[in-house]
Amino acid sequence: MSDLDAGNQAVQEQRPPESILNRLKRYVEKVLNSVDSMMRNPAFRKQIIWTSASIVLAMLVAAIIMVLTGYNPALAYIALIRGAVVQWDRVLFYATPLIFTGLSVALAFKCGLFNIGPEGQLYMGAMAAAIIGYMVSLPIVVHPLACLTVAALAGFGYGFVPGLLKAYRGAHEVVTTMMLSYTAILFTQWLVTYPLKEPGEFQWIAQTPLLFPTAWLPHLFGSDFLHAGLIIALFAVVGVHFLINRTVLGYELRAVGLNAEAARTAGINPKWNIALSLGIAGALAGVGGGAEILGYHHRFRDAWSTGLGWDGITVAVLGHNNPWGVLLGAIFFGALRAGGNSMQVNTGVPQEMVTVIQGLIVVFVAAPRIIDWLEKRGIDYSAWIRRSPMGGIGHLATTVWAAGSAIEAMIIISFFLEKTPFAGLLVALAIIVGFYALTKLLAQNPAGPVVSLFTAVEWILIATVAALLGSSDMVYFTAPTAVIGIAVSLMTVMSSRASTQKAGGN
Amino acid sequence: MQALDPIFIGWLLKTTLQMATPLVITALGGMFSERSGVVNIGLEGMMLVGAFTAVAGTYFTGNPWIGLLFAIAAGAAMGFLHAIVCVKFKGNQIVSGTGIILLGAGLTTLGLEVIWGRKGVSDEVIKIPDIPIPGLGQIPFIGQTLQIAIGSLSPIIVTMFVLVVVCYYIMYKTPIGLRIRAAGEDPSTLDTAGVDVDLTRIIGVVVSGALAGLGGAYLSIGFENAFGKGMTDGRGFIALAALIFGNWTPVGCFLAGLFFGFLSGLRYAIPIQFPELTGFSNFFRIIPFLLVIVALAGIRRSIPPKAVGVAYEKEKRA
Repeated sequence: MSDLDAGNQAVQEQRPPESILNRLKRYVEKVLNSVDSMMRNPAFRKQIIWTSASIVLAMLVAAIIMVLTGYNPALAYIALIRGAVVQWDRVLFYATPLIFTGLSVALAFKCGLFNIGPEGQLYMGAMAAAIIGYMVSLPIVVHPLACLTVAALAGFGYGFVPGLLKAYRGAHEVVTTMMLSYTAILFTQWLVTYPLKEPGEFQWIAQTPLLFPTAWLPHLFGSDFLHAGLIIALFAVVGVHFLINRTVLGYELRAVGLNAEAARTAGINPKWNIALSLGIAGALAGVGGGAEILGYHHRFRDAWSTGLGWDGITVAVLGHNNPWGVLLGAIFFGALRAGGNSMQVNTGVPQEMVTVIQGLIVVFVAAPRIIDWLEKRGIDYSAWIRRSPMGGIGHLATTVWAAGSAIEAMIIISFFLEKTPFAGLLVALAIIVGFYALTKLLAQNPAGPVVSLFTAVEWILIATVAALLGSSDMVYFTAPTAVIGIAVSLMTVMSSRASTQKAGGN
Repeated sequence: MQALDPIFIGWLLKTTLQMATPLVITALGGMFSERSGVVNIGLEGMMLVGAFTAVAGTYFTGNPWIGLLFAIAAGAAMGFLHAIVCVKFKGNQIVSGTGIILLGAGLTTLGLEVIWGRKGVSDEVIKIPDIPIPGLGQIPFIGQTLQIAIGSLSPIIVTMFVLVVVCYYIMYKTPIGLRIRAAGEDPSTLDTAGVDVDLTRIIGVVVSGALAGLGGAYLSIGFENAFGKGMTDGRGFIALAALIFGNWTPVGCFLAGLFFGFLSGLRYAIPIQFPELTGFSNFFRIIPFLLVIVALAGIRRSIPPKAVGVAYEKEKRA
C-alpha cells in the first residue's frame, strides 16, 4: 500500500497540480469538440435530417388519418407531448427494455447481420431469469446478478445458434431468428402453462410463482414503474459503444460487417465473428427480458412482452444502429407509449394511433430517398412557382379543394353507404379520380387541371344521382363541392393556360 | 382403433384444409414478391389488413363478396406501399416489412375502435356461404370421410386450389411469369432485354399483397365471421415459412402449406383424440418454424432467388 501511495505522490509531483474544475472544463471541451465535428460530418447530418423528417412526415400522415376518423390531431398531439413530459418515469420505464432490444439489433447490424428475433431472445432471457429468481434462494445483491447472468447466457445461446447456422450453413439470419422468435414464445408459453405453472387449485393464469423478493430490482426515484434496469441499460449503451469502437472484437465485427471477404484476407475469421455477434446480440436482449421480469413483473406471465423485441428493431433503425442513437430512439418510443396513454384518456384518440405512427416512421426511415425525393420535389416546385406564380396559386387552391372534398366524401360515405351503395361507389370513384388529378398536378403535368375539372363534373353527377334518389342531405353535401370544384378547376385551367402561353412566349 | 375412425379422419382433413387455405394463399402471394426480388416479411400485416377490411366491407355493404373485394384491394394497397418504399425508393426491404407489420397491427386495432368502439372483436357479420357438395355420401368406403371433409366447402378453399394451378401457369408458362422470375434472379439481364425491372417488381409485390389480403379475408369472413385483434396470430410468418420450405415454387408452397395446416389441425385434434398429449400441443405449432430452419441449414437446402433483397439500380453512364 505504501509503495502505491508513494508512486501516486511521485506522479503528482511530476505534473503541475490541476484543479478539478479545470479538468472538467477540458473534458467538456473535448466532448463538445467531438459533438461539433460529428455535426459537421455531412453523412451524420444527413442521417439526422432523414430521421427527423421521417418522424415529422409520419406525424403528418397520422394527423390526416385522425382528421379522417373524426379526431382533432392538434389536441391529440398536445395531450401526447404533455403526457410524455408529466409521466417522465413511465417514459423511461417503457424505454428500458427497448434500449436492450435496440442495442441487440444494432450490434448485430454492425456485423452486417439483421437480428429480427430479439423478441424470442427476450423471452428466453426472461424465462431463465424467472426460473433462477423463484427456484433458487440467494442473498440480496447476488440474486439479481445471478438471474441476469443466466438470462444473458440464455439469450446468448438463443442468438448463437442462428449465428452458427448463418456462419457455417448459410441459413439466412432474418428467417432463422424470426422463426426462433415464435419458437421461443410458444415454448415459454408451454413452460408456464404446464411444468412451471404457479401451483394452486384456483390458479388459472399461465404464470410462474412470484420471484423471491431478494431477486427484485429496486425501483428508482420512488416511481412505481421505473426500476434499476434502466441503470443496467445505460451501462449497456456505454458498453456496446466501447465494444464496437474500442476493442479488437468490435473492430473485427465491423470489418466483417463492411466486407467479410476483405476481413478474411486480413486474417479475421468472419464465421466466428458472425456467430459471436449474434450471440452477444441475443445476450443483450436476454438481459433486457430478465431486467423486466426482475424489475417490474416479478414473475413470468404468458405473453407479457407486447412486442418489445419488435419495437427494438424499430428503435435500432431509428437510431441508425448507433448505441447512443438507440438510447434516444428508445426514449422517443417510450415517450410515444406513455403519451399515447394520456392521449387516449384526454382526447379519446385510441392508443393504437401510436402503433400506426411507429409503423409509418419505420416505413419512411426504411427509404431515406423518400425524403430526398420530397426535398427535390419541393425545390423544383418552388422554382416552378417562381417562374409562374399564377399556376402555383391555382395548384394551391386545387389541392385544398381536393383534400377538402376527400374529407367530405369520407363523411358522405359514412352517412350514406348503407342506404345507397351505388352513390357510395360513385363517391369512391370520384375520390380516386380526384387523387389522380392531384398526382398529375403535383407532377406539374398539364393534364392536371383538366382531370380535376373532370372530377368536378363527377361531383355534379353524384349530386344529380342524390337528387334522383331523393336524398336531400346528400344534395346539400355534394352540390357545394361540385360548384366550388368547377370554379377552382376552371380558374386553374385558365391560369395554367396563361402561364404556358407566357412560357411559350419566352 | 379410434384414431382411424372415418369420422375423425374426415374431420381432420377438413381442419387441415381450413388451416392450410390462408397459409397457401398467402404463401403464393409471398412467392410473387420474393421471386420478383423483393423480400416480403410484411405478409402478416397485409393479412391482418385484409382480414379487417373484409369484415368492415361486409359490415357496411351487407355483402361478404364485396367485403372480399375490399380485402383484396386493401391488401394490394399495403403491397403497393411496400413496393413504393422498396422498389421506387430502393429502401431497406426488411425494415419496410417490419413497418408494414406494425402498420397493419396499428391500423386494424385503430379501425376496430373507430368503427365498433371496441378493443377486442368486431360485430359479427355474414360469412361467405359454404358450397354444399352433394352425393359424396354414396361413394363406397371413403364416402363418410369425404362427406365430412369436403361435404360443404368454403368457396375460398376452392379458390385456393384454383390459385395454385393459376399461379403455376402464370409463373412458368407466361411472359409475365418469366419476367417476374428474371427480376428476382438476374435483373440486369431483364433490363437489357428492355423490360422495366422496377415495374415488374411493383406488380409482383402488389399481387403478393392482394393474395395476402385474400388469405386474411378467409380467416375473418370465410372461417370465422368477425375480426379479432391480432387474429392472424403469426400465420403470415408461417406462410413465409411455407414459402421457404416449399422452395419458392407454387406446388412447394401448396404442399408445405397443407403440411403446416395439418400440423395446426392436429393442435385441435389432439385434445379430442389423445387427451393425454394435450400438454404438448404447442410443440406441434413449433414444428413448422423448426422445419424451416432445418430446410435452410440442413440437407435439402432451400435456395432463395439470387437477387432477392437487393434493390435494382440501373447503371449510370459516367
